[in-house]
Amino acid sequence: MKRRRFLGFLLTILGFTALGSFVYPLIKFLSPASGKAAAQKVTLKKSEIPAVGEAKEIPLNGTPAILINRPGKGFVALSRVCSHLGCLVEYDRAQNRLICPCHGAFFDLEGKVISGPPPKALTQFPIKVESESILIG
Amino acid sequence: MWERIKNWLEIRVGLDELIKTHLTEYRIPKNINILYTLGFVALVAFLIQVVTGFFLMVYYIPYSGTAFRSVQEIMSTVPYGWLFRQIHVVGSSLMLVVVLLHTLAVFSMGSFKKPRELTWVVGTLMFFTTLAFCLSGYLLPWSQLSYWATTIATTLPTALPYAGDLVAGMMKGGEQVSGITLNRFFALHVVLLPLVISILVGLHLFLVRRVGISSPPSGKAAEPERPWTEYRHESHPEGPSFFPDFVLKEMIMVMVFLAVMFFIITFLPTLLLPEEANIPADPFKTPAHIKPEWYFLAPYQMLKIVPNKFLGVTLQLIFLLLFVLWPFLDTREEKDLLKRPYLRLLFFLSLILWIVFTFWGKYS
Repeated sequence: MKRRRFLGFLLTILGFTALGSFVYPLIKFLSPASGKAAAQKVTLKKSEIPAVGEAKEIPLNGTPAILINRPGKGFVALSRVCSHLGCLVEYDRAQNRLICPCHGAFFDLEGKVISGPPPKALTQFPIKVESESILIG
Repeated sequence: MWERIKNWLEIRVGLDELIKTHLTEYRIPKNINILYTLGFVALVAFLIQVVTGFFLMVYYIPYSGTAFRSVQEIMSTVPYGWLFRQIHVVGSSLMLVVVLLHTLAVFSMGSFKKPRELTWVVGTLMFFTTLAFCLSGYLLPWSQLSYWATTIATTLPTALPYAGDLVAGMMKGGEQVSGITLNRFFALHVVLLPLVISILVGLHLFLVRRVGISSPPSGKAAEPERPWTEYRHESHPEGPSFFPDFVLKEMIMVMVFLAVMFFIITFLPTLLLPEEANIPADPFKTPAHIKPEWYFLAPYQMLKIVPNKFLGVTLQLIFLLLFVLWPFLDTREEKDLLKRPYLRLLFFLSLILWIVFTFWGKYS
């Protein structure tokens, strides 16, 4: 291999190494922090628990969530973040469903898509109903 | 005094030769039309954004706790702050209108064809950079409108498999739009994007100057078309001079641009700043009937009617790719759109479809 060709080859390798050693830290630098804090739970006291047919909006680990007291079916805790484009769904008590204000999607009270473009159901959070409170998350 | 300064410059940079080569003796096609001035108007619009953007930065505080209040203070307390913000807001939309018209004019006159494919590609990249400017700047007032429009835009990449979540996470800096997103968008808006567009503008102007201004397909050209088998500069020795003839036309169009801008600021001040733009961002409440800015309405509506999110986003990416690479797909030599019935049909159909989707998105 001629000296000039060898230097060109070396330069290419060093160039890609330099680029790689810059791009990888850059991606890590811009990515959200991966070490998630322990999942936070929310406790609603008796006075805060929604009545039958009512709902209560709550923040859960920074995510807007909703606790719904479904007539005849009990409580369900759902994420309010629409799986389509991230808008927050609203509870429609009269129609027993959740509506996304952005693209007009409908979800049932299980969080499943009734109509509209969302690709999947709303995230459901575990709940534990106790005598005087409800534990969500 | 003036003569002394000229002499001083002449000795050091050869001013006379520069002026002759690039202005007074630089000839343009004699059948050139008013549509050729749009590129210059877009450049002036960009410079207006730079100047007013700098003025706004003097008072704007890029922190989620204070951003909204600082913008409100610019509008109500800072002397003439409202004027500079309105120029910046209306100017950004009008700049996009001019860039769009410029793109349509270039397309319809076939000026993207060999040997100007690179000029077109750089131009489309400038168009995307302008959109990125609009998107990143839109969040900065930290209003309900800006917050939720950004939430939608930054959730779009999640439709793509593998890298989608990573890209969305890198844009937002977390799962939701937050103060971290505001800082990222601010840095993008005032540092990275100005640098990118300055490089692209420089490259675009270099290519236009290096290859030469294309002759429009209509009217009588100064010289017959010859096949491009090797590099040559397209010169127009019979045409009028760039300065003062063409520059005067360009300045008239700049005045039209300014007139439209000040008409909107004076008589339609809420056109681009509706009610939601004056409500601080609330991450726990999406406003009813939220709509993005007019230039994102068509893709927004498309995402509504395409039942699959991945398909909706992928279709739009394919359209964008076709748009960028069009000169390499349409290699026929005929530049005149009037003599290309199928291309004409495609052109008008795409345009009508975009307009229909925009209005549909607005009023649906």
